[in-house]
Amino acid sequence: MKEIQDVKMKILQYILEATSSIENDIKDNTLLFDEGLFDSMGLLFLIDFIRDEFKVETKDDELVVENFSSINSIAAFILNKLELKEPKKMIIIHK
Amino acid sequence: MEERTKSFSKEILKLENIELVCDEICQKLRLNIKTELKRRGAIVGISGGIDSSVVLALATRALGKENVVGILLPERDSSPDSLMLAQKLAHKFGVKTFVEDISQALEGFGCYKRRDEAVTNVFPDFDPIQDKAKIEIKQTISQNIPNVFSLTIVKPNGTHISRLLPSKEYLQIVASTNFKQRSRMSMLYYYAESLHYSVVGTPNKHEVEQGFFVKYGDGGADVMPIGHLYKTQVYQLAEHLGVPQEIIDRTPTTDTYSAEQTQEEFFYQMPFYEMDLLWYAWENDYQIDEVAMVLNKETSEIQNIFKNFERKKKTTEYLRLPPIF
Repeated sequence: MKEIQDVKMKILQYILEATSSIENDIKDNTLLFDEGLFDSMGLLFLIDFIRDEFKVETKDDELVVENFSSINSIAAFILNKLELKEPKKMIIIHK
Repeated sequence: MEERTKSFSKEILKLENIELVCDEICQKLRLNIKTELKRRGAIVGISGGIDSSVVLALATRALGKENVVGILLPERDSSPDSLMLAQKLAHKFGVKTFVEDISQALEGFGCYKRRDEAVTNVFPDFDPIQDKAKIEIKQTISQNIPNVFSLTIVKPNGTHISRLLPSKEYLQIVASTNFKQRSRMSMLYYYAESLHYSVVGTPNKHEVEQGFFVKYGDGGADVMPIGHLYKTQVYQLAEHLGVPQEIIDRTPTTDTYSAEQTQEEFFYQMPFYEMDLLWYAWENDYQIDEVAMVLNKETSEIQNIFKNFERKKKTTEYLRLPPIF
């Protein structure tokens, strides 16, 4: 079971490393594509990271802005997928 | 960007005086090749597609058919139609041709082996002999998300199976298939140097500006006479110059992957007619409301398409940059 803050922190760490950004510039609701943080290859590497770190595979039809626009949406996407894989475990979401 | 003097309309890109446009391109091409580059003629790689056909026709008009040579560069995955149409074109314009099958060179580079290895990593039951493969963008251009490629394999019974490409396999497939364009470029320069001619490149405005070309592949040429023309304008020139109708009517394909693939599904994600108008509107700063009204689309869709254009231009800048020193 993973908690959302833990997931968000890992995503943030990945983004900071991948984009050479400054921590204070990236909030949970920063729009990653609008800010130019990720292009096509950046998104592809992010999908690799999600697969390697959380064992979550992204499918063709899941590649929509609602799942990837910000740290919030990526974390929600990951947790939803994990919940589908392990439905009996409780997921705590802090908003 | 041009100075904006006209209101946006579906007719805005229509060339009014095609004869004059052809004359200007030909005059510049003569100047580029004879005066600036000091070469005797033109080498054009002809694929049976609309762009290379128009370039061959323009080069012939600019330099005379005796000073233009068409090179046909088929390989294992090329459609047989490409060779047939390119020969028909050369015959129509009275241009001498050479056919160079580059399959063996590509074998030597390991192009097919490296590509098939990456495909098999994604689809372990992929059979390179019987199955066909292609990569495509599944997202629509109006989604506000960068484009990511999927791999599709086509089974002999016509079944399509598609999966999002992981980065490693995507990069390996692109890098290995790019041997095709780079091998063609090498062969074109062989002929150019052996005749003291120039290589005349065939990319149009979209290919140049959206980065739909291979660096040092089809992007490797001495002069690109239609690099400023929109695709619909290339078609207008084709009609005017007398390019064979079969070539004009043919759907533009990449002719790069074993499965049939249009340029629209591979890269552009919309019909050329719309893309020309939208790209023109975007680069000339037309108001989104005005564009949406003329094209009968939602403003949010136009906004996302413009963002996609901006991303494409920015992320492909690397392709257009000369070496940094």
